[in-house]
Amino acid sequence: MAGAVAMRAALPGLCALIVSGCASQSVTIRSLPPERPAAENAAAIERLGQMKAAAAAARAHQPPPESPSEPPPQPITTADAPSMYTYDPWERMNRFTYRFNARFDEDVFLPAANGYRRIPAAVRSGVHHFFNNLSEVKTVVNYGLQLRPVNGLRSLGRFVINSTVGIGGLLDVATKCRLPFQPTGFSVTLAWWGMHPGPYLVIPLLGPSTLRDGVGYLGDYGIDYGVNPVNLYRGAPSYALGVTEAVDTRANTHFRYYSSASPFEYETVRFLYVRKELIEDEALHAWRHRKRQDATVPAGR
Amino acid sequence: MKGGIVNDARLRVIRHAGTIVPMLSRTGWRRGVVALIVFAARAAVALPTVELPDPGPASGLADSKGLRATVYGPLPQDLAPLPARVPLEEMDIALPWAKPLPEVLWFARRLRVWFAAQPGPAPLAILISGTGGDGNTQKLATLRAVLYGAGYHVLTLPSPTFPGFIAAASSTGVAGDLHQDSLDLYRAIEVILAHLPSRVRITDIDTVGYSLGGANAAVVKSIDAVAGRVHIHRAVMINPPVSLFASMSRLDRLFALDIGSTDEGIERLYRKLYARLANWYRSSDRVQIDESALLEAAGAVLQTDADFEAAIALTFRLDLVNVFFAGDLYAGTGVVVDPKHPPHAGDSLEEIGRALRRRPFADYFDKVFAPYYLRYRPGTTREALLADSRLDIIAEQLSHDPDYYAQTNSDDLILDAVELGWLRRTLGERIAVYDHGGHLGTLGERQQVADLLDMLAGRWRAQSR
Repeated sequence: MAGAVAMRAALPGLCALIVSGCASQSVTIRSLPPERPAAENAAAIERLGQMKAAAAAARAHQPPPESPSEPPPQPITTADAPSMYTYDPWERMNRFTYRFNARFDEDVFLPAANGYRRIPAAVRSGVHHFFNNLSEVKTVVNYGLQLRPVNGLRSLGRFVINSTVGIGGLLDVATKCRLPFQPTGFSVTLAWWGMHPGPYLVIPLLGPSTLRDGVGYLGDYGIDYGVNPVNLYRGAPSYALGVTEAVDTRANTHFRYYSSASPFEYETVRFLYVRKELIEDEALHAWRHRKRQDATVPAGR
Repeated sequence: MKGGIVNDARLRVIRHAGTIVPMLSRTGWRRGVVALIVFAARAAVALPTVELPDPGPASGLADSKGLRATVYGPLPQDLAPLPARVPLEEMDIALPWAKPLPEVLWFARRLRVWFAAQPGPAPLAILISGTGGDGNTQKLATLRAVLYGAGYHVLTLPSPTFPGFIAAASSTGVAGDLHQDSLDLYRAIEVILAHLPSRVRITDIDTVGYSLGGANAAVVKSIDAVAGRVHIHRAVMINPPVSLFASMSRLDRLFALDIGSTDEGIERLYRKLYARLANWYRSSDRVQIDESALLEAAGAVLQTDADFEAAIALTFRLDLVNVFFAGDLYAGTGVVVDPKHPPHAGDSLEEIGRALRRRPFADYFDKVFAPYYLRYRPGTTREALLADSRLDIIAEQLSHDPDYYAQTNSDDLILDAVELGWLRRTLGERIAVYDHGGHLGTLGERQQVADLLDMLAGRWRAQSR
């Protein structure tokens, strides 16, 4: 209850912030978190080295012989590519929401994330690992729903190791034990059982999405709420937790509304988002039946 | 110009949307007589009425290696030493001469620039982005880092062809005139300098730009030499174009050659890309498409010279779409935007975007740029407008003023041999020409940065290399 009261108390302030953000000012100067070019370049060099090593390893190892029960999937041809048009029957509403999200992001979300980025990196990484670890709960349940026990057990192992040895999830010990973080969600479960992405949907605050993803968010929330690990998803602490997770997610998302300043940004983001989802679906379907896209139907339908 | 920001655009979109891959195609790089016939026929279709100067080979001086360097940029291990920390401020500035803001550009009311301040007194380097780039591209961030590390305050500005600049800082709304765009830039610099935090103490001011921004940086200095309000000391052009329109026409031809000038060509490219990316992704063990996946995919997806050419041509074309749209909207020329019923913020722009992707730069010149300037600059001619787009307009200053410098590559795709020769002749001892890198592929490399710092300090000599 305290959380709800705090939320209500914060609302007028939030509205004032939004309004003031929209007010005309001739100059605004914002201090951003400092850039770390040396560290970033060192990371880029390391990534490149890993990619080269992985490519060399892939060349060295022949692909395993295909088992007769699972013939290799047909390669995707140009004819299989979905239409360049995206199915977006709710475009007017979506555009309105996109615009609202852009303003909210600029005036509320991004300043919060930038403030958060000033916290020492070690602390932020602990927070990030903590939320990743919590997300293993819905990952395990969803791998179960997808009848993929190996992946499910791996995520369960991660959850157990990180929650104990990793001090409640603050450290990602499991990755070092060769149990990589491979999240899945209810939207993927729906895709696994053959559901198409459906119409493009811009969700308030969350951003670009599809109808299936929207249902997926609700499903994942339902799983978390139902399992309710360590009683974190109900009552007052859940508000604080939700806000912190939102800020952590935002601080780790390198997207800025209208940084392209392009009048076509809505179309571009829609195009890319839905194609990304369809390509991810292709990989899922390759495990099961080959699903053909009808190239004349707008993508996502 | 545009080819230059390919790498930027790629990283920018990867960074921001996390979902694009460099575009590619296998259509195209044909050699021999048959190729020439096909090429000439397509180019004739693509470049209709306007007589632009003959742009020469579509990929300029670039060979296979040049094309790859243009797209990928320097390897991270070849970069000059970078500082551990660069403080950064972001400034949004409303400029009084901006034209009334159209509803569809509601988000671009103020010009956004970035500033990195030294704690004490220091010289200021003003950096200008290449075609279509904002003031915080990957290339600008690299230059900012090395210049900050060398003790400069650094101010980074968008290109006058960036839609955010057109909306917030252009006095015409029609980008592409080298002098007019640079004048808008100059006036914006004046306002920005007046609003820098008072703690910032500036001892000297230089301008640096890459690609089209290089030409802007030099013209801005030449404007200041007359106006004298900013006191710009030195200007360095990195991979500048010599003729804006010749370079753009060349990229048009590249597009026509490697992608085709029709909807089908673009659709074919899209399908090829989708299929290659989907197959690559399916064969990888990845669960999600993220930034590192895309960097890895680029190697699998871009293979032939034609792929790289298509990536360069398409990136350029997508930036041109924004410039074309804004120009048509502001000039009221009615090519794709009905001047009496401009689109509203909630309207779909899908069809307009689709129509614009087909249109080459020649169309922009012919149907928006020239009509606008012929109307508002009485007495001018098409030929004069073309001539004004050349670096020749400041040839006198470039050859006599010792404070102009340039860096370019002998395999730059936005130049041909004549243009590179012109740069060498005009700048004499004040140009460094590297033997690799294509367009901007040397930006940030050790030698390029060492030369840049020497040039800005006025101690660079051709013999010293």
